[in-house]
Amino acid sequence: MKGIFSVLVENKEGVLSAISGLFARRGYNIDSLAVGETDDRSVSSMTIVSTGDQRTIDQIEKQLNKKVDVIKVRRLDEAKSISLEMMLVKVSCTPANRSSLIELCQITGAKIMKVSPKFLLLEYHAEPEGVEDFIDLIKSYGILDIQRTGTISLSKT
Amino acid sequence: MTGAEAMVKCLEAEGITRVFGYPGVAIAPFYEGLYNSSIEHVLVRQEQNAGHAASGYARLSRKPAVCCVTSGPGATNLITALATCYADSIPIIAISGQVSSELLGRDVFQEADMTGATRSFVKHSYLVKDPDDLPRIFKEAFYIASTGRKGPVLIDVPIDVQNKKLSREFKYPDEVNMRGYKPEVKVNLQQIKKVVAALDKAKKPLICAGGGVILGDGEEHIRAFCEKFNIPVVSTMMGIGVMPKKHPLYFGMLGNNGKPYANKAVGRSDLLIIVGARLADRAIPKPENLVRRVGVIHIDIDTAEIGKNMGPTIPLVGDVKDIFEALMEQEIPVADQSWIDELEEVKHSTVDPRVFSDKLVNPNLLVQMLSEKMDDNAVYVADVGQNQLWSADNYVMKNGRFMTTGGMGTMGYSIPAAMGAKMYDPSVQAVAVCGDGSFQMSMNELATIRVNQVPVKVLVMKNRFLGLVREYQYNTYDSHYSGVRLYDWPRYDKIAEAYEMPFFSCSHDADLEKTLDEFLACPDACLMVCDVDSEDRVK
Repeated sequence: MKGIFSVLVENKEGVLSAISGLFARRGYNIDSLAVGETDDRSVSSMTIVSTGDQRTIDQIEKQLNKKVDVIKVRRLDEAKSISLEMMLVKVSCTPANRSSLIELCQITGAKIMKVSPKFLLLEYHAEPEGVEDFIDLIKSYGILDIQRTGTISLSKT
Repeated sequence: MTGAEAMVKCLEAEGITRVFGYPGVAIAPFYEGLYNSSIEHVLVRQEQNAGHAASGYARLSRKPAVCCVTSGPGATNLITALATCYADSIPIIAISGQVSSELLGRDVFQEADMTGATRSFVKHSYLVKDPDDLPRIFKEAFYIASTGRKGPVLIDVPIDVQNKKLSREFKYPDEVNMRGYKPEVKVNLQQIKKVVAALDKAKKPLICAGGGVILGDGEEHIRAFCEKFNIPVVSTMMGIGVMPKKHPLYFGMLGNNGKPYANKAVGRSDLLIIVGARLADRAIPKPENLVRRVGVIHIDIDTAEIGKNMGPTIPLVGDVKDIFEALMEQEIPVADQSWIDELEEVKHSTVDPRVFSDKLVNPNLLVQMLSEKMDDNAVYVADVGQNQLWSADNYVMKNGRFMTTGGMGTMGYSIPAAMGAKMYDPSVQAVAVCGDGSFQMSMNELATIRVNQVPVKVLVMKNRFLGLVREYQYNTYDSHYSGVRLYDWPRYDKIAEAYEMPFFSCSHDADLEKTLDEFLACPDACLMVCDVDSEDRVK
């Protein structure tokens, strides 16, 4: 099963390493990790997505809660939260197939950030599955470079 | 006031009167602070033993104890002791010197990334950047170490932070305010009701007491509870000492090194009440099978322990004293005497299949006789190896303390830990029991014992082998004894002579009582060696 954790932590050096170390030490998998400051600069917010059986996901929550620098852990229910991921991608194209790629961007809502003779640099954001679908669509053009933010989530309530 | 002076002030504010350590340049300003204070510094002979000594001190005082080391190798030498404390939830504060802040990360002389290296062996750690933070950090460190599930906390202090002056007047905080650490747990009365309902139905309830009971000062509570409701008790290795050995409701240590009848008691019970134990692999090999068959109530201060190794029927998080105070007031039926009688019968019908050599000293007899003869409130520190398992198996708990490293199994623990315990309370008899392997891992501390006139008694079971590994090779590798021979050295009488300590030795059961009497009556630190047959096994 998938576990999405929204974690508030002290914004201090070593905290990210402590959190990632917790996963590494116990053999838990991190599917994605997004970190940023909150409106309170002393607090960072992390969205951590992990997969494992029920016991593993429960243990992750408990172990996160044990960390002194972890202020709050919330486990998000996929159905009751909004999850988004953003990516930047350089897609190879030639004058011959550029227009079909531009058309694809218009249909999917991807934003063209830069046009060059050999590629288009696109920005795309969607729910995590949507990002995967978009990558499948553009694969045939040739992906030169890709950068994904990882999932960020907030509960709807 | 400098950072170093502030560090000393913080320790004084916490009531610390003694620290165990080993100096170096990176911690020298703090040592200058100690020189000018009333805090006694005990110079150990290797940093790891400063941690073990603090551990023994903390376990007897039931408060955090302090050790201090220099940067680099001094600090990395301490890591094994930190890991040992972490595995057994022992509260110590470790202060390490660090290279100057502006040199951090440049791999300069004696630099080691201590906060990084110890991340998975401490409850929490600090790398101090500003001397003004020191009072808050020390206050937090002592609070974190001694509350909730206890454990070691590391404070790494660069030398420039020790030397720099505080920008404001020193003030030790009265309280801590950490938004991420709230260890107080209120007893959940809903869960208490569920426990009562389960006890109401149970015909064969059994308490399994772990080291958490002792860490939570809950021994008296468990004893009172089991007596009031006539519930039998078994313990883990770390839980030895919760119940007196001869208590009619106590049925020994469970696990693959425990009493067969304790394991049978677990097997026959219909409700297992686990208190302050994580039930690692050595205690219950296949916990999932057990859970399918019996009800399990798991009581622990650490939420994460519950369900880690075994999915409980009823989880109950909180302080052992609070929980058992609440349980004492509940209407719970007194368990039927037939269950106790059944366990008594199992106990008496269990035959020990082991045969011990009659040529040398029988280790079972040795531990029984020694612990019977020791003072009622004595401290018995068992090292690691066959000596530990013979000790756990035969130790006669009266009203003293049994200490060992159950979690990490760190060889060389007993001598420094016994020294630490004895230094905390000189009125208490302290005996370190080790094998010839573990003795040689920390025999250098005989110097610390000698110099500081700490009358610790050290008893070595000598069988010229790393016995427990040898036994494993006997069972698993067709007696291919690989890398386990210690031979006949050192000459223990010469070691004792070198440290000018009285020496006792015994090679036959017939001489054991007399020699033990002399050994225990000796007013000074002393060394005793018992020759044990290398064929004697724990199983």
